[in-house]
Amino acid sequence: MEIKPILSTLMRNKTGVFVIAAQVALTLAIVANVFYIVRDRLAEANRPSGVDEDNTFMIGVGAYRPVVDPMADIARDLAGLRALPGVTHATLANQMPLAQSGNNSGVSVDRSQQQISTSVAFYEAADSLVDALGLKLVAGRDLAPSDVIEIQVGENSPEGPFPVVVTQALIDKVFPGETQPIGKLLYLGVGPNADELRIVGVVEALTTPWGRASWGLANRGDVSMIVPFRRATDSPLYIVRTEPGARAAAMKAAEALLVKPGNGRVLGANRSMTELRERRYRSDRFMVGLMGTMTGLLLVVTASGILGMASLWVNQRRKQIGVRRALGATRFDIVRYYLTENFIVTGIGIVVGIGLAFALNAMVASELGLERLPLAHLGIGVVLLWVIGQIAAYAPARRASLIAPATATRSV
Amino acid sequence: MFRYYLKLGTRSLRRNPFLTALMVLILGFGVGTSMTAYTVMHVLGGDPMPHKSSQLFVPQLDNGPLEGYTPGDDPDHQLSYIDTMNLLKDGKGKDRVAIYGLSPTIDSGRADLPPFFEPGLATTASFFRMFDVPFLHGNAWDEAADRDGAFVVVISRELSERLYGDTDPTGRSLRIDDRDYRVSGVIDHWRPVPKFYRILGGGGAISDAEDLFVPFRNAIAREWNNNGWTNCSGGRNEPGFAGFLKAECNWIQYWVELPDAAAVAEYRDYLSAYFAEQKKLGRMPRPENFALRNLREWLAFNEVVDSDTRLQTWIAFGFLLVCLVNVIGLLLAKFTARGGEIGVRRALGATRMEIVRQYLVETVVIGAIGGVVGLGLSYFGLAIVDKYGLGEAGIARMDVPLLAATVALAVVSAVLAGLLPTWRAAQVMPAMQLKSQ
Repeated sequence: MEIKPILSTLMRNKTGVFVIAAQVALTLAIVANVFYIVRDRLAEANRPSGVDEDNTFMIGVGAYRPVVDPMADIARDLAGLRALPGVTHATLANQMPLAQSGNNSGVSVDRSQQQISTSVAFYEAADSLVDALGLKLVAGRDLAPSDVIEIQVGENSPEGPFPVVVTQALIDKVFPGETQPIGKLLYLGVGPNADELRIVGVVEALTTPWGRASWGLANRGDVSMIVPFRRATDSPLYIVRTEPGARAAAMKAAEALLVKPGNGRVLGANRSMTELRERRYRSDRFMVGLMGTMTGLLLVVTASGILGMASLWVNQRRKQIGVRRALGATRFDIVRYYLTENFIVTGIGIVVGIGLAFALNAMVASELGLERLPLAHLGIGVVLLWVIGQIAAYAPARRASLIAPATATRSV
Repeated sequence: MFRYYLKLGTRSLRRNPFLTALMVLILGFGVGTSMTAYTVMHVLGGDPMPHKSSQLFVPQLDNGPLEGYTPGDDPDHQLSYIDTMNLLKDGKGKDRVAIYGLSPTIDSGRADLPPFFEPGLATTASFFRMFDVPFLHGNAWDEAADRDGAFVVVISRELSERLYGDTDPTGRSLRIDDRDYRVSGVIDHWRPVPKFYRILGGGGAISDAEDLFVPFRNAIAREWNNNGWTNCSGGRNEPGFAGFLKAECNWIQYWVELPDAAAVAEYRDYLSAYFAEQKKLGRMPRPENFALRNLREWLAFNEVVDSDTRLQTWIAFGFLLVCLVNVIGLLLAKFTARGGEIGVRRALGATRMEIVRQYLVETVVIGAIGGVVGLGLSYFGLAIVDKYGLGEAGIARMDVPLLAATVALAVVSAVLAGLLPTWRAAQVMPAMQLKSQ
């Protein structure tokens, strides 16, 4: 290998080396961090909710005239919804996963606690939410009709104890390592008067109404619990599950059933779980698209810089290349010379870039609350830049190899 | 001489159109991307009321329980009903306003327009004068209506047109949640960006103003729940809406107008005295903890310019930096290839300074064209951000200073990128060049 002559040539051309290495370094620093952010966002936007998302929807209605007997209306609505073609389950609930509106409550595991253990998304459901959302029960039992507590308009939530179904994420958070969570007690809030909750079942996952919330409450986005409340209201929300393929028709039918001209009802929201996810993560996907585009452009710009500089060097050294060829160097030797040169210059940029990437990451991590940049991401960036460098340098290198040995003898 | 250089420059650029186009495009992309990101940050971080933002303040009071208290914690963003009513009653400051969100139903009685939900605000008449809300028809309700919780409503121009077409509805009656309200006024298009007065629970910093406004006391009397952010502490509430009003639940956004530093100092003293007084009454168990932020401080506290926006701007400027280094390389290649020409000029008597001048003019030309390309790309970028990022057309818009800044950024970048290659070009030895011809 002709490393030594390459190095001495580069030493005579420090400006060019600097220009390419600086581009590579900056590009690596940006690309590695952007990859990391993009992957984090996509992972979040695609995180399983635990819900049978293809076959569920929510429909909420309001009243523009006083409601005489809300409980009776709710019972009639649910009977009607369940009778719709393709509908398998329906329940009254207070909030919907990823709908970005709902309740959080603090829970503790010991009455002597001063601070809550965690904040929990507080799902109230009159019938099985496990069935209506298609959740997967991994331990214990679902809430039963006999557990349900009726709450009339103007009444407060009941005092405990009452049974709850919680997510595995909640168990992991407040009882780390616990393998027998059934029967464990939780308290709503803190202090001696906190209501007692008894865990009767655990579901694999149930995302909160916010997914991952930026303001830190239930920040993993799946710390949730279900309580068996049937709360009377004049603006009920129903969660409905259908057979595969029947959802779109069922949503239309549900709207026609609940809101009729002159029945005193106003439609709130009628949204499929698919749409809710799309709305929740729209801004994240936009950010991913924006950053992806910028990264793509950045790589193109860097590649064109490498190409330009390599072409310049080849043009400046036509005579020397001719001499080398005349002295017996093969075409392959010439190509190898330029590719090796590019490998070294890119390498200098990469070494500096690794340092820059970590510096940039320190800033980004504190800003977005991310972990340190994983080495794997940096590795991908390094390989990518070396490959791009080689590809960009190949065309000029090949052109150099086509320079005729006779060039050496001309115009001296 | 300058015009001659300009001619030389443009000719030289035309001689190698591919390289020139590449430089202009790369510069344009760098400038376009960074100016798009910067504009978004500028718009979100803008001052929605420049003439008054230093006089509008948000008081915060910590009414949380002793459990869970960590020294240094900020008080909640909103006030409880108890504190709101006390602060309104004490009447400190030049003007004051309380706000909470509503989502009542409107029944127009028209067959072609079924009843619908409409976002609204419960507030006081001071809202319209404190925030300079423009009226199209009529005006705000009076102080008596505030005091009595009268059935009056101010509606947006959009809602008015939807319900009444182009006619002036002032004095007509509107059915809201099954009761009749008298329309006292219609506000004209009003859309502060960011939507500072209701950062929490109102659809975010970039969202439409509400479409109907009713007196605060009327909304309370109607037991309309807060449509927004509610944060309760301190155990179980007493039942019903009355119990909710008595609870330590924070759900009302409160603003006070304080015209000068003396008024601010006075208000701080008042808040401190108020905190002590409430403590005596058995509330506010925590050590004294209150805050008073003016509009700009309030927007910063609520991180209206979120970390994503800041990050995008950083990355965009990083991109511009790479583009700059790239253009340095391209100019270097271009100028080096012209060693012979420089040698001739130098041999014929041109000083180094003349060479520098000639090549700087050329880079300025590249910068100016790059700036125009950058402007075009910024417009394209902002249209995309409007459509997919902010969800509303015409929010991210460049004003004249930003337009000028875009072109200036391109020219300055080009000149910066041209410094090194120009300096190198000026170093060319005439003898060496002439010899190798």
